[in-house]
Amino acid sequence: MKTITAFKCTNCGHAMYPRHERCLNCNNREFEEIEPTEKGKLLTYTIVNELPWGIDERGRVIGVVEFENGLRALGLVESDEPKLGMELTTSWGVVRVIGGVKTYGLTFT
Amino acid sequence: MDLELEAYLRPPEAEMAPYPAKVITLATGGKLVVRQVDREVVPTLLEAIKPTIEVERDYYDIVGVRLYGELLGWYRHRVRDEFCIIGQIDGLLVGIVNSRMLTPLIGMSLHTLAIERGLRIGAHLFAAKMEHHIEYLNQDEVLITAESPIGFRRWMIEYGLQKRDGQHELGGATPYALTRELYFANKDRLVAGERPVPAELMEVAEREIIIASEEDILEKILGAKRRML
Amino acid sequence: MRPVVVSGAGMIPFERRDEDSLVDMLAAASLHAMDDARLGDRPVEAVYVGNMASGLFNHQVSVASSLVDRLNLLPAAADRVENGPASGGSAIKNGLLAIASGYYDVVLVAGGEKMREVIGPRSTDIVAAMTHPEAEYIYGVTLPAMAGMFARLYMDKYGITREHLAHVSIKNQQNGLLNPYAHIQMNITMEGILTHPQSHINNPVVADPLHLYDCCPVSDGAAAVLLTSLDVAQELKVPIVEIAGFGQATDTQTLQERSDPTDLKAVSLAAQNAFAMAGIQPEDINVAELHDAFTILEIAESEHVGFFEKGEAAKAVKNGETRIDGKLPINPSGGLKARGHPVGATGVAQVVELVWQLRGEAGERQVKDAANGFSLNFGGFGNNVLAFVLRREA
Repeated sequence: MKTITAFKCTNCGHAMYPRHERCLNCNNREFEEIEPTEKGKLLTYTIVNELPWGIDERGRVIGVVEFENGLRALGLVESDEPKLGMELTTSWGVVRVIGGVKTYGLTFT
Repeated sequence: MDLELEAYLRPPEAEMAPYPAKVITLATGGKLVVRQVDREVVPTLLEAIKPTIEVERDYYDIVGVRLYGELLGWYRHRVRDEFCIIGQIDGLLVGIVNSRMLTPLIGMSLHTLAIERGLRIGAHLFAAKMEHHIEYLNQDEVLITAESPIGFRRWMIEYGLQKRDGQHELGGATPYALTRELYFANKDRLVAGERPVPAELMEVAEREIIIASEEDILEKILGAKRRML
Repeated sequence: MRPVVVSGAGMIPFERRDEDSLVDMLAAASLHAMDDARLGDRPVEAVYVGNMASGLFNHQVSVASSLVDRLNLLPAAADRVENGPASGGSAIKNGLLAIASGYYDVVLVAGGEKMREVIGPRSTDIVAAMTHPEAEYIYGVTLPAMAGMFARLYMDKYGITREHLAHVSIKNQQNGLLNPYAHIQMNITMEGILTHPQSHINNPVVADPLHLYDCCPVSDGAAAVLLTSLDVAQELKVPIVEIAGFGQATDTQTLQERSDPTDLKAVSLAAQNAFAMAGIQPEDINVAELHDAFTILEIAESEHVGFFEKGEAAKAVKNGETRIDGKLPINPSGGLKARGHPVGATGVAQVVELVWQLRGEAGERQVKDAANGFSLNFGGFGNNVLAFVLRREA
């Protein structure tokens, strides 16, 4: 499954996403590429009714998930009843259409 | 008036159930009385609408001039099955909505004019109009369009309106429908109001429809003309 | 470093200003500040303009150059400074350093934004341009969404309720009624926005748990300050209000990369640095202008800068301690909530309000005996923050 490319510091093991040229923890400049795990925990979320131009919806749930390998990322949460700490499954899908082009990103169910 | 001649010119009139008045508590704590009005108040309402006809901002000019025509037409018995609901705060007129029954089951939403801004008056009165179509006139759906892109986009997304074929009678625009199902799905979130209206509030509202001065109306719509320095 | 005096302060009323261009507004605010300083023909040597997105909102760039042209401040040095919602604060910092270094004696700092040229959802999209393009923007993240995610955690951690947030909103809107420059001139009640069973219709969810009345409006406007060296201030014979300290700090761009997303590290650090430079403590502050783009932020910032212990500010607001007549008045101007938030203008407007307060020129919203003032300008979503301490010389 296609997914985001995240980074793990080869020196201290700190997991990072998005990209930084120097480790946020130890300033090392070399990284191993890692990916989100299939399962993750919902750290926080919000339900958005006022969306930007180009997204004609309401009630979009956006949240931050922490994966089993310590990595964290933001994505769309597909759940009618999101709860802090709930376990979600990671997938990849169209998250927005920008200038007519389908843009893919993380979705969590 | 030659009533024999009028009989040729007046469209037939359907029996329309009345809209029971309600009161809405606004964010300011103020009370908005929302009630249906009869033709006789039209000359008063026209005074409030007139100043908006020259205001280009936010499409007030086209909404105002069309509403003026629709209410005057209704007053002169030349528009079929139209109704009008107004909003008042302490007797002061703050908004007007109007609409028609196209058929017994299909409503044709006409206009929403808010004279007071920042209190969601337009949203409350639009919701009241839909409430009347669906719950009191018992219609199946209401055809909607709007001249202002801001309000229209808001209604479309707030209610999830469904596009329809054909033409809306406001200039032949594309109609969007609010169905019974959509109305009830969104009612709790969008339709406010308590009934009955407390007697004192109703008495003030019915005693007089207070129209703000032209200056005040323009100030309310355009914002206070506060100088730069 | 030399002392830096705010010799002149001015602004225009914030609101929707369809007839005024961005440069119209910047010019008017600038003249107000220059005249307030009784500058006359004395030259301005440098101009800094805080503005976030004139290129996107107004299809115009290099507005600092436009401003010096418009005001005939030629041949002054001029730069536009961008730091998202802290553009105004960053512009002031640049002006301050220019004078403190000894290189310049007279510097104009103006901040402005004309946001209402585009419709709401486009404005939301433009503001969202400060989020991370790959990790945030593509998901439709908005600034209210960032605040909503933060608020959920902060409210959960410290037991803050929607009622606490409502107290912030009501206080600021009531303060706004006393401020002729404030965008929102409207009183709101607890019943109308929260306790009435149908209040959710007046006050719908924007980004849960934040509702309409937890969010500042979208405004047009400009504010300006005329900074000078102490010598020039004495020649101008203006009241001496110094920027006694400033601090600036950054944090990760995304919320998720903060080890504790409820910890606004950049706020704490910027404030610490400002207090250290001014040689005072948070308890010495008599009046504060904080960045309440969202009600939760007024509470969180007041704790992170040291006015209250973590978890105590919500109670203090409810008890009225931060009202104009309270122990520590916060946002006597009405804050971003009522004064409005033309993005680039805010950081400058906060300092303008403090100057008026410290000089005793704040009219009906005057805080008694204000001698030390503090402002906080929150850039991005707390990833680039400026703090200022202002002091009135006795």
